[in-house]
Amino acid sequence: MKRLRTFALVAALALAGAAAAGAPAAAHANYVKSNPAADARLVKPPTEIRVAFSEPPDPKGSQIQVLDEQGARWDEGATLASDEPNGLKVGLKPIGDGGYTVAWTTVSAVDGHETKGSFAFVVGNGPLPSLPDVPNASPAPTPLEVAGRAIGYAGIALALGCALFGLIVHAATGPAEVRRERQLFAFAGGAIAIGSAALVLAEGDRLPPRLELLLSLRLLTGIAVIAALSPRLPDRSRRYTVLVAGIAAALTATLVSHATALGNVKDMALDLIHVLSISTWSGGVVSLLWIYLLAGGRQGDALRRTAWRFSLVALTSVGVLVTAGVLQALDRLVLIQDLVETPYGLALLAKMALLVVILAVASLNLLRYGPRAQRTGLVRGTIVEAGLLAAVFVAAGILTALAPPAQPSGAAFDETQHVAGYRIELVVPTSIPGRNRFVLRVHQGLTAVTVAEKVALRFTMVEHDMGEAELVADERAPGEYVATGSPTAMYGTWKVQAIVRLPGQDDIRALFTVPISQQSGQGATAVALTTKSLSLVVFPDPTLPVAGAPIQLSVIALDGGQPATGRTVTGTITAKDGQPTGGQTFTATEVGAGRYRIDIPALAQGKWTLRIQIGGPQETADYTFSVSP
Amino acid sequence: MTRILSVAAALAVVVGSVGIFASPALAHETRSVGPYTFVVGWVTEPAIVGQANALFLGVSETASGKGVEGLAKTLTAQVIAGGGAATKSLGLSADADMPGQYTSDLVPTRAGDYTFRFTGTVGTTKIDEKFESGPNRFDPVTDGADLQFPDQVPPAGDLAKQLADANTKVTIAMALAAVAVVLSFASFIPALRRR
Repeated sequence: MKRLRTFALVAALALAGAAAAGAPAAAHANYVKSNPAADARLVKPPTEIRVAFSEPPDPKGSQIQVLDEQGARWDEGATLASDEPNGLKVGLKPIGDGGYTVAWTTVSAVDGHETKGSFAFVVGNGPLPSLPDVPNASPAPTPLEVAGRAIGYAGIALALGCALFGLIVHAATGPAEVRRERQLFAFAGGAIAIGSAALVLAEGDRLPPRLELLLSLRLLTGIAVIAALSPRLPDRSRRYTVLVAGIAAALTATLVSHATALGNVKDMALDLIHVLSISTWSGGVVSLLWIYLLAGGRQGDALRRTAWRFSLVALTSVGVLVTAGVLQALDRLVLIQDLVETPYGLALLAKMALLVVILAVASLNLLRYGPRAQRTGLVRGTIVEAGLLAAVFVAAGILTALAPPAQPSGAAFDETQHVAGYRIELVVPTSIPGRNRFVLRVHQGLTAVTVAEKVALRFTMVEHDMGEAELVADERAPGEYVATGSPTAMYGTWKVQAIVRLPGQDDIRALFTVPISQQSGQGATAVALTTKSLSLVVFPDPTLPVAGAPIQLSVIALDGGQPATGRTVTGTITAKDGQPTGGQTFTATEVGAGRYRIDIPALAQGKWTLRIQIGGPQETADYTFSVSP
Repeated sequence: MTRILSVAAALAVVVGSVGIFASPALAHETRSVGPYTFVVGWVTEPAIVGQANALFLGVSETASGKGVEGLAKTLTAQVIAGGGAATKSLGLSADADMPGQYTSDLVPTRAGDYTFRFTGTVGTTKIDEKFESGPNRFDPVTDGADLQFPDQVPPAGDLAKQLADANTKVTIAMALAAVAVVLSFASFIPALRRR
């Protein structure tokens, strides 16, 4: 009884510790950013393509292809790791004007999962090529991968659960029970080894080195379990050996899981606790059946006491399992609708449904057959329980091979809403004042919505009355609508209303609150300036002006917190590379409430200073910007 | 003197009408269609759900600024809610005092974007134009919650929707209650059998 209390206390403390930690999501290696950026318009062709991902990709199994509109490849040489975090790069042959599609495939160095996607860029003034596939598509797992995972998890559960059953609930006594316990250990060791080997085979040539190492270690733990069957080892030592090997195998499962991919300790702890608790329960059920109930004709009080002792262990395990599972699900689901609208959610739902049925069967064992010492009923109940638990491992094998809905996009803003039966996801890669790219993904269930008559984004600022601006988005890939522009011109909070117009239906409207701030690392070029009585925000378009190409300077003017409208705004070149120079004066046009645009036809490479004058000569400010070659 | 006053009054009307067509209300959309200028919007803005309003259409010759009359017979108007969830044909009424201006009474019952579509002919020009509410065009219809005081009343359309949802839930609850009653009676059967 003291051991049981100790076990329950340790489990409760572990869970409390895990629940107290932070809350992340985890996933496959997804596109974060690239150079050239997605949908970029370039004056000069690039010499290489760089892409950064949300997880470390394995260059060996990853590939970046650059295709022109005829499908001809222009990438040159192997895809290599770049010097930026989680980055890959590939060289380019000399390319001319036109549209190019960058198709990438990555294999996560952590869990070996494959992710595919594409983006496009244009050299010159041509149109952007259309993208054939929805980005970040994750191929479905192969049957061999699912089988490898399920068999491996079952082996880990059997090793751990059987060893704990012998150490806490009932130590096998007599030749028949000891023989049966050894059979279970042999089966567990074999399953761990076979599961690991199946996963190695499923990965094939693209097996990342880290995953190879951890699967090899897991295979060794399986061999260690089998080696523990040596007759020279005392029974109790054997159980401890198998327990340690089982925990080591469970740890390798966590270290190649989604949870480890982002390196968050709390998520990893939850994953490990989840594996340990299901193993204790399910391995214990099989041990109760095979070692205790089927080995001999135990009846009466002995049967009642053992059934009750195991029930306590099982109840504690189930409590920990459900709590850890719920916390993990909250991290990995974006919306409750994900349970029925995503493959990951459906697998999770199937697992939960199985769990409910198993608990119903287990409650019969606990409340009816156990107290009455009905051996036949207990045998029948535990057989059903064990069979359903095997199905849970198959569901877990599918679940862990699929990408969770909560994917790290690497974007500055990424939010999903469920409106009128549609999933509306707004992604803003860089939420900086000035030109931004807004991506709206529209799905109904698992299906991309491709029939929209119009998709528009309307922008209003919370802090200042800057009026309402609209961007109309183009469909760049099935269900993915992209708009680029600079309606979010000021630092602050912006309300973005997404409107999806479908034929014959009411408009679907989703309201997002997008913070716009100048954060380092986002390529922000907006500058806050002041004149005698006005506050200005100035930014160029393109974000990085290029020599010889047109430049638009946006000037946002606020007078006492309100847009300064109807002013005459001019910009005069006053210096180049720090040297005063007599320059041309450009007159701005007012394009919105307090928003002015200065069009500069072209400038040479260098650092230019422009004196912006608003109204009278007192209201001036100098803006310095660089023009690259 | 009378003649001078008449000339002054006529000039005032001309200048006023030119002013109307040259700088229409901020929340109206102005568009050139062939040799004509169309101005479209709501008569009352902001347009609020449940409040009487009307379509405003102004058509003038772009070159002269003169309003085009007689279009109530040659143009048909249609109002479209959202992507076409509901459509309605509208009859145009000419404004007797303002040549070239037409209205059509309408009570919008749903918040959101509306589209006005005009088909037919103006002079010899065939017309098929859509005008959609939105920024720099004309106002979408709002629920008016910001303007209501002291109590905020949901629009009738929303109330009808909520009522329909409530009816559905009541039906489901009644079905579940019936199942519960049947199950509760069924649970007595084993006990009755034992007796």
